Amino acid sequence: RQPLSPCAAGERLCSTEEATAGSGTYTRHGFIFSSLAGCLDRKSEDNELPVVSVVRDSESQLLPNVGAVVTCKVCSINSRFAKVHILYVGSTPLKSTFRGTIRRQDIRATEKDKVEVYKSFRPSDIVLAKVISLGDAQSNYLLSTAENELGVVVARSEAGVQMVPISWCEMQCPRTHTKEFRKVARVQPQFLQT
Amino acid sequence: GLLVTTCGLLRHRPGGGGAYWVDSQQKRYVPVKGDHVIGIVTAKAGDVFRLDVGGSEPASLSYLAFEGATKRNRPNVQVGDLIYGQFVVANKDMEPEMVCIDSSGKSSGMGIIGQDGFLFKVSLGLIRKLLAPKCEIIQELSQLYPFELVIGMNGRIWVKAKTVQQTLIIVNILEACEYMTAEQRKQALAKLSGN
Repeated sequence: RQPLSPCAAGERLCSTEEATAGSGTYTRHGFIFSSLAGCLDRKSEDNELPVVSVVRDSESQLLPNVGAVVTCKVCSINSRFAKVHILYVGSTPLKSTFRGTIRRQDIRATEKDKVEVYKSFRPSDIVLAKVISLGDAQSNYLLSTAENELGVVVARSEAGVQMVPISWCEMQCPRTHTKEFRKVARVQPQFLQT
Repeated sequence: GLLVTTCGLLRHRPGGGGAYWVDSQQKRYVPVKGDHVIGIVTAKAGDVFRLDVGGSEPASLSYLAFEGATKRNRPNVQVGDLIYGQFVVANKDMEPEMVCIDSSGKSSGMGIIGQDGFLFKVSLGLIRKLLAPKCEIIQELSQLYPFELVIGMNGRIWVKAKTVQQTLIIVNILEACEYMTAEQRKQALAKLSGN
C-alpha cells in the first residue's frame, strides 16, 4: 500500500483503465474523481485492478442500521413524540451525534393509546432504543422502545440525584424518596456492572 | 428536611396531613395544572389554538375541548378572543395545554368570554386575595354597581359593567386595591356611591 496523500474534492485521480473506483470517489467520462476532501488510499489487488478510495478520517463513521440497538439522550419532549440525540451505536461511541425521534405509539408495545410521553421520558434521560427506520427528509432516525429490554436506563430526579428503578414504570429518588414515572428498561444481568 | 426557596409569609394548614406554603408576591405567572386562567388567542394552527397566558410558552387549546364541540360543530373562535379555561398539562418540560371543559365534559363557566368589557393585569397576590372566600373587596364593589367579573390565576381580570365609565371606575379601584388599606378603600367607595 502506498502512503496516504491528501486530495481535494473534485480532483481527478486517474483513469478507469488504471484502477477501479472505491468509496469516496465517482467515475465521469472515463476518469475517477474524488468526491470528498481527504486522504487518497490505493489498495492493490493481486489479479484485479487496484481500488482507489478517499477516506476523510482514519476510521469510517459507524452508521446505525435498521434493527440496531442505540443509546441516546432525550433532549426535548412533546405530547406526541420525544426528540433524542443518538450517542452510541451498540457499544461504540459516535464522534458526532445523530438526531432521533421516538413517537408516542412506539414507546410501549401494549396499550399504545394510553401512553403519556411525560410519564415515560423526561429531558436528559439516557434511553436504550432500537432503530426502526432510517428517517425521512429531515434525517431523523425513527426509534422504538417497545420491548422489555428497551427504555430508560439512567434518569435524574427533580432533586438532581440519580434514581433507582423499582418497577417497569416507576423510578425512585434515593434522597427524597419521591417516585417518578418512566418507561424503565429491564437490562440483562450480564450487562450490569456493580 | 423542607427548605424555603422564596421570601414571603409562611402559612400552615393543620388539617389532613398538614401543609406548609409561602405566600409570596410576584407578577410573572408560571403555569400550574388545574389553574383557571384567561388566555388571549394569538394563532389558529390546524385544529389547535395558540393562547398567550403570560407564561414562558404559549398554551395550546384543541377545538374539541369546548362543551358540545364535535368535528362538524366547531366553536367560533377568532384571533384576539379571550378564553377562560384550565390547564390539563403544565410542567417545565412541555408546552402547557388548556381545555374549556371539566372532567365530566361540562363547561362550568369556562369558554369564550363575550364582547366588550375590559381586560387588565394585576399581581398574583391580589388575585389570590380576590379569590379567597368572602372577599370584602368584591362584596363592597357589588354594592356599588352590578358588573360581570372573570378572574384568571395568571394575573388577568376581565370586567364588564353597564357603561364604559362604570367599567373604568371598577378597573381603577381593583388596581388600586393592591396598595390601599381597608379604610382607604371604604372611603373611596363611600365617595363614589355618594356621587
